[in-house]
Amino acid sequence: MVFDECVAHESSWDADEALTAVYTAHYTSLVRLGALLLRDTGAAEEIVQDAFVAMHARWHRLRDPHKALAYLRTAVVNRCRSRQRHLVVVDKHMPRSLPEEPSAEQAVLRTAETDRVIEAMRTLPEKQRTVMVLRYYGDLSEAEIADTMGISRGSVKSHAARASKSLRQVLEQSR
Amino acid sequence: MNDPDDRFDELMRRALADEADRIEPADRLHEIQSRVRSQRKVTTRRPWMIAAGAAVVGTAAAIAAFTMLGDDARNTGEPEVAGPPATTSSTSSAATTSASQATQPPSPAPSDQPSTAKSRTTPEPSVKHKAVSVYWLGKSTGNESGAGVRLYRTFVPVSGRPALEAVRVMASGKSDDPDYYSLWQDAMPLSVTQYDGVVTVDFKTYPRLKLETGMAQVAVQQLVYTVQGALGDQTAQVRVTQQGRSGVPLFGLVDTRQPFSRAQAADVQALVWINSPTEGAVVRGPVTVEGIAATFEAVVNWRATNQKTKQLVQGQTSTRQGQGFSPFSFTTKLTAGAWQLDAYLISPQDGRITDVDSKTVIVR
Repeated sequence: MVFDECVAHESSWDADEALTAVYTAHYTSLVRLGALLLRDTGAAEEIVQDAFVAMHARWHRLRDPHKALAYLRTAVVNRCRSRQRHLVVVDKHMPRSLPEEPSAEQAVLRTAETDRVIEAMRTLPEKQRTVMVLRYYGDLSEAEIADTMGISRGSVKSHAARASKSLRQVLEQSR
Repeated sequence: MNDPDDRFDELMRRALADEADRIEPADRLHEIQSRVRSQRKVTTRRPWMIAAGAAVVGTAAAIAAFTMLGDDARNTGEPEVAGPPATTSSTSSAATTSASQATQPPSPAPSDQPSTAKSRTTPEPSVKHKAVSVYWLGKSTGNESGAGVRLYRTFVPVSGRPALEAVRVMASGKSDDPDYYSLWQDAMPLSVTQYDGVVTVDFKTYPRLKLETGMAQVAVQQLVYTVQGALGDQTAQVRVTQQGRSGVPLFGLVDTRQPFSRAQAADVQALVWINSPTEGAVVRGPVTVEGIAATFEAVVNWRATNQKTKQLVQGQTSTRQGQGFSPFSFTTKLTAGAWQLDAYLISPQDGRITDVDSKTVIVR
């Protein structure tokens, strides 16, 4: 749902126009995607910014907002994943506080239910968490998730199944 | 819905959407654009500027000349927008002088027209050199009223038939300001003719884009404002036809059987415009920024950010009048370097920044 709204069916855009249009339509949801994967909005903004710069450079090959979006999504997911892998290593050496400190108002707005799901997501291995975010936030099909992550559809299926199983267990326990 | 799988799916969707909604990313468009710009070696976007001289300073001089022509066009052609005649007459005469020095004698379009122009179908007369206003769509940041986009304006030098050339520029989609875009790209304008006070813009093909109503209305006004601006006549109605045929729907839904009239500026025009300096201009400090704004209690906020050092200079100024669109200006000392100039409003409801217009300039 988030990614379906297409800016326009334009192939005559030059790179600058494409950048502005695709940015306007998708910047926010791409940062949110990154932030859900990383739990760090600042880092997600950096990554999405890099991805847009890269998209601009290869617009002459993409030439289509749909392809541009798929490219951006893949770039963001890949960069988030490699950063996560790096953070896991760092995590082992030092305790890390939550990167976000929600304001009091936000804390109230955020429901206990959301908290439980987000906490439960943190227990998942990186690939499983990525599959779940793309599936439930990005509303992507199995095939799209496979393309984005560069893995087979079968792997998407099995990651999703394992993730669902353990999430259900964690959520049952925390109820 | 009682299926546990459905409940689980539903819970996951809701929780992730809820969590995502809490994330409010900071706007990075300008940062991305300046990074892109610094990576670009040769500019291909402004062929006329390259023709005018490849040197940066030469380009700046060219922009300056056209900006002054632009002011002239604004003051003669769009009194409503620029404020009451009394407040603009002084700049108008100054601009006229500069304009006549810069190029051909300035001749506002209406007086150019032969008196018979309104009684029979007439193509517009050609001019050798003229700066015309072209309107674009830009995001109305933080201002959720309407379609979320509003009209911005740039001035473009043309030769030939001003209105047709203006529509061609608009349909080329190539604005000097990367924040602005056009929804008329891939439309092919063929002619602009006048008959009985109605201007007809004939297209070989309309844009293929399908839009929702609000966006389509702003896009139609983009054409109406551009055509009227080039002709210097805000009352002219604008009809569109496709290969001479009336009634072919535009953007998938707009009825084209009747000509369009100009919408109220307050409904479609961006609430803050920076008219000068223009995007990419090279200026000497102290920098004077001029624009037009329609703002609550006449207050316009501004800030200048050095793109390298991130030094921030900011302040407030007022429009000459508190109601409607009215001119504003401010002058600030800036050190040499690339600066982003923003003029914006602050929402009286919640203090958010809204309606930003930005220009990147090089201060020498």
